[in-house]
Amino acid sequence: MKRYGEHRFPGKLFVVEGIDGSGKSTQISLLNQWLHAEGYGVVFSEWNSSPLVRDITKRGKKKQILTPATFSLIHATDFADRMERNIIPLLKAGAVVLCDRYIYTAFARDVARGLDRAWVRELYSFAPKPTVAFYYRVPLDVAMSRITHGRNGFKFYEAGLDLGLSDDPNQSFRLFQGRIIDEYEQMIPEYDITVIDATQPIEAQQVQMRQIVKARLTQARQLRVAP
Amino acid sequence: MSLVRETYGSVVPGMELTDLPGKIIVIEGTDGVGRSTQIALLKPWLEQQGRAVVDTGMTRSELAGKGIKQAKEGHTLGRITLTLFYATDFADRLEREIIPALRAGFVVLTDRYIYSLLARALVRELDPVWVRNLYSFAVKPDAVFYLRIGVEDLIPRVVFSTGFDYWESGMDLHPSEDMYESFRKYQTGLLSQFDKLAEEYKFEVIDATQDIRTIFDQLKRGISRVLEGTPENAPIPELAKPAPAEISQVAETASPAVAAVAASAASEDGHKRSTRRPSKKHAGQAVAKGRRAAH
Repeated sequence: MKRYGEHRFPGKLFVVEGIDGSGKSTQISLLNQWLHAEGYGVVFSEWNSSPLVRDITKRGKKKQILTPATFSLIHATDFADRMERNIIPLLKAGAVVLCDRYIYTAFARDVARGLDRAWVRELYSFAPKPTVAFYYRVPLDVAMSRITHGRNGFKFYEAGLDLGLSDDPNQSFRLFQGRIIDEYEQMIPEYDITVIDATQPIEAQQVQMRQIVKARLTQARQLRVAP
Repeated sequence: MSLVRETYGSVVPGMELTDLPGKIIVIEGTDGVGRSTQIALLKPWLEQQGRAVVDTGMTRSELAGKGIKQAKEGHTLGRITLTLFYATDFADRLEREIIPALRAGFVVLTDRYIYSLLARALVRELDPVWVRNLYSFAVKPDAVFYLRIGVEDLIPRVVFSTGFDYWESGMDLHPSEDMYESFRKYQTGLLSQFDKLAEEYKFEVIDATQDIRTIFDQLKRGISRVLEGTPENAPIPELAKPAPAEISQVAETASPAVAAVAASAASEDGHKRSTRRPSKKHAGQAVAKGRRAAH
């Protein structure tokens, strides 16, 4: 079992992190289109999307039977399934893999739910180290105004209502996301995460992201597929 | 009585470890060794003494039980994914079934615990540090009885009952071999992991090649010792008590050897309640209901 930082692949792994409303999904989707157009073999993987596990998580959330521990473990199961069956073989084959959320999401959320930092880090120690991990840094108010616009209310676990921080979903969301931001900020030096100022215009952020990605792909020309 | 329980290292949020007067009794052993037969005998025996019993076992969680069974049918689960799936199932049962039962003073009779899960993960060569960290939130049980068997004695039992199972034969590890060769290799590795765990976690080892009655007697003695000094629960109402008919119900569905043991267990106090013996159908429903209530 290889641990974080021990994997050696010809492929490249780029991941985006940030709170809801940071704009990270928009950025990785633009990057995905660009890499496709450039002729790279690109695969995109979302958080919580394993066909084996996704429905169990969904049902657990709906029934509100998830505890901090089972919330953490079921997400780790989903992540492991995507890694073992999909992402690791693709990296071995030389693909460019893009992940919307990675282990740092779990570190931030699970610790915000009260789990032990060291326990969660060890739980995910089988994950390969990304080529670059981007963090889209945004003030909480900006993120909240982006996501509250045009949708009614937050979901139970998304707002951290399982923690009993506040009965008011808006207030609970704010407190919970505040904790998550604190965890992310701690991880930036710990995991050498690349910070992007997510208050900039979308185009400016994308230019920055493409420059950083391109620099890491120059040594990987063999990854290009025939146009 | 000290009521603070210990875990194997970490504590998950919301898990209060004080005021847990119940007991956790673990029956461990590999597949086909006779664990469920013994549990089917032990549960009514404990209930006859007025102890409330919850029985639980792997893949019975509300959250993940069904999902694991479905995923295993596809034969595509990676070893890390499988291990994490089992850990999710275990955590759900621990937090929402085992701990509440301990708090209410029940005897939790569990068909396997973390040790089978550790053995399966270790035989698949997962990092021991990772595996132990994963299960470090487990509450330490009061006793672990390990039904020990050698692979030579195990093979005929499996062949002539259920046949070789894909996962119990470790076919995910030895895909090029036939089920027999794979089973032999996998179970040999698994049993050697169990032996190491038996030493490390101080299991009480029981020779599982003995007859059912002898094993049952040994388990009864061991469990009595663990429960000694703890007050039996207040008498439970007559209706909730397992009637002798239920034990004979076990006898009807189980093998002749189990039936003989069950019947003699039933006769020990059967005469007292024979006047209000419910119909067999009724008793069967009561057993089924009791199982559901355990969840």
